[in-house]
Amino acid sequence: MKIVKIAGITAALALGVAACGGGETAEPAPAASAAESAPAASGPKFAGQTLTMWRLGDSNPPAQAYMDDLNAEFQKVTGATVKLEWIPWPQVNDKFTAAAAGGAGPDVTEIGNDQVPLWVSQEALSPITALTSAGDQAQIPKNLFGLETIDGEVYAVPWGAGTRAVLYRKDWFDELKIEVPKTWDEVVAAAKKIQEEKGKDVDGFAFNGGSDANHLLGAMAWSEGGDYAVKEGDKWVGKLTDPTFKAGFETYTGLVTSGLSGKSRLTQNTVDIRTRFANDKVGMYLTASWDIPGIETDSKGKVKADQLAFFPLPAKTGGEAPAFFGGNDIAVWGTTKNAELAQEYIKLATSKQWADRYAKDGGLLPVYPDTLASLASDPVQAPFAAAFAKARSFPADPNWTEAGETKAVLQNAARSVIEGKASADEALATANKELEDILNQ
Amino acid sequence: MTDTSIARRSHRPPKKASGLNPKYIPYALLIPGIAVIAALLLYPMFQVFVISFQKVGLPQIRDVNPKPAEWLGWENYTKVFENDIFWSSLRNTIGFAVITVTLTLVVGTAVGVLLNQLSKRMSTFVIVGIMAAWAVPPVAQGVIWRWLFDAEAGIINWALNLLPDFLSTALFGRADWSGEPWTNEAVSIYVILIVMVLWSSFPFVAVSVLAGLKGIPTELYEAARVDGSSPWRTFWKITFPLLKPVFAVLTILSIIWDFKVFSQLYTLMNGPTVREAFNLSVFSFAEAFKAPPKMGSGAAIAVILTIILLIVTAFYVRQMVKSEEVQ
Repeated sequence: MKIVKIAGITAALALGVAACGGGETAEPAPAASAAESAPAASGPKFAGQTLTMWRLGDSNPPAQAYMDDLNAEFQKVTGATVKLEWIPWPQVNDKFTAAAAGGAGPDVTEIGNDQVPLWVSQEALSPITALTSAGDQAQIPKNLFGLETIDGEVYAVPWGAGTRAVLYRKDWFDELKIEVPKTWDEVVAAAKKIQEEKGKDVDGFAFNGGSDANHLLGAMAWSEGGDYAVKEGDKWVGKLTDPTFKAGFETYTGLVTSGLSGKSRLTQNTVDIRTRFANDKVGMYLTASWDIPGIETDSKGKVKADQLAFFPLPAKTGGEAPAFFGGNDIAVWGTTKNAELAQEYIKLATSKQWADRYAKDGGLLPVYPDTLASLASDPVQAPFAAAFAKARSFPADPNWTEAGETKAVLQNAARSVIEGKASADEALATANKELEDILNQ
Repeated sequence: MTDTSIARRSHRPPKKASGLNPKYIPYALLIPGIAVIAALLLYPMFQVFVISFQKVGLPQIRDVNPKPAEWLGWENYTKVFENDIFWSSLRNTIGFAVITVTLTLVVGTAVGVLLNQLSKRMSTFVIVGIMAAWAVPPVAQGVIWRWLFDAEAGIINWALNLLPDFLSTALFGRADWSGEPWTNEAVSIYVILIVMVLWSSFPFVAVSVLAGLKGIPTELYEAARVDGSSPWRTFWKITFPLLKPVFAVLTILSIIWDFKVFSQLYTLMNGPTVREAFNLSVFSFAEAFKAPPKMGSGAAIAVILTIILLIVTAFYVRQMVKSEEVQ
């Protein structure tokens, strides 16, 4: 599967077109003929120029359609053609690293909000402060710029906010007469029932131990009142050994030790889980609603959107667990030779009209407050809007990505506990020291 | 053609005088090779050495106005030595090399001797078979073996489940192998890695030994047989001493190959995931190229690995030269 994916990506990059996970090739946004005719219209300032744009994730049909329309609009306004490339989420850091080292980067890139501090510290993004105080963008609440503002400069504009909820197989729940869980115990019972009926190799509730594992672990730890680290003065102090964090951590490792998720898949990330979900091997997992089109593609149409639904992750302590405050931003890549045009693109993409549609088509929450307020009545988006109210985030530090993804500090701690190599206390004490070392370096 | 004619011909002076003093011709011929090695190997090695004393990240290596690298002295090295992962990587690297080099040479030699006993047709058949394993690219090997040991769909767990329960319990202390994960922890990862590298590297040893064996005059074996020597004794008294130079080269090559094994381990673990199972190459890669890249400490690890390898090889070459002198 990995090979197919890699081959697909390589081919996609070589051709400069977008290819999606399911092997279906999508056309690049602007057709060649349109590019030729554009310069003839004398008006646009940037006629004949090309802008490279990196979108993250899979090019599922709604996302592709959105990009096609956005890029066509951009061409109409500025005359410039957009070369669009899709980068799968698990490869984002590697692609950014290669682009920053080799100079073959995009002009504009989508970026995860928690990745912004890291890439600013690597000097890979250009400041775009002026852009955010005028026009539509001035309406985006300032508290959404927390991770994006570093030393008084803004490096990225929030494009859509994303929180996580539990995606489940509605058709299985109906078939097995399972009620939508309201408490953590009901989630466990539902997962057990699914495994009894659908086979032992099905993950009732999938454990995520890959690059984005902290979305799941974080929700469980936050719901107990725990946190990763707090800043005291100019130093980060790790809080992993707190009983509250430990309680969440034990719920997390308990997914595997109690058999709800297979012991052989301790390093799977959301993309891996999604593939198994599409193949009837997962009952529930924590994710965002943008996974649905990918599941339809991966399952070759066998698992359809109406067989799937979301519910907010219940906390073990009662109520809903706080979700990860995620979001996708859009930023100007530092080495761009086309900074002015790149800013124009961001201005258009994050304008109210296009940002709202980005959120709607991508299953994200809109960053414009009035649009968000109107979502509370939407049955699909309501679980996310509810989670969004309680959203929390990871330590806002450039080194967080290293601790959370590259060094996988807590994923390794969880594995040593699951393998019986260390107790939760020992593993968390080691992890705490490592987390402090990384955050304070 | 007799020996004398060869001697006479080679002593004949060249008809046309070359512009270059014959004494320098070998050096002139070496220049292109040395230039290529210097550009592709010596210069990068020198750079790695320099970088290992510097703080080098993305801002330092990018194309557009790169920042000057900061000189850190020994800091990269002291940090590496304080890191637990370095010590587990070092242990994994050395342990793996010792076990795998030994197994490769023993199995390779045994197969080489066997090939020498086989009929021509059969030996060709076996050679083609084992060379196919040798020819599999390292990344493909990693993927193939990862699939074989897959917890749910892998053939290994399936085969272990086919064993009668009493036998499986007697051998491994368990009867049920369904869903047994192999790539979660260092020990089982290295079991797979050793088998994989052995599988892919013994054919080269076997074929080299076979080539050596073909060069030993059959009279020696006939004499041994007349004297009533056992096959074991024949091997140690005739084959082994005569093949010593072959073994020396094969050992050094195997040590070098097994010390720096990377692709197979990387694909087997599906990237640098299980940190306790890192070896020095994977550790160096993870430090140097995973975001945020720390090329300085990655380079420091690479320098340490190179030095260890140089010491081991130098020691071995010295032993070899010594024993040649004794003879």
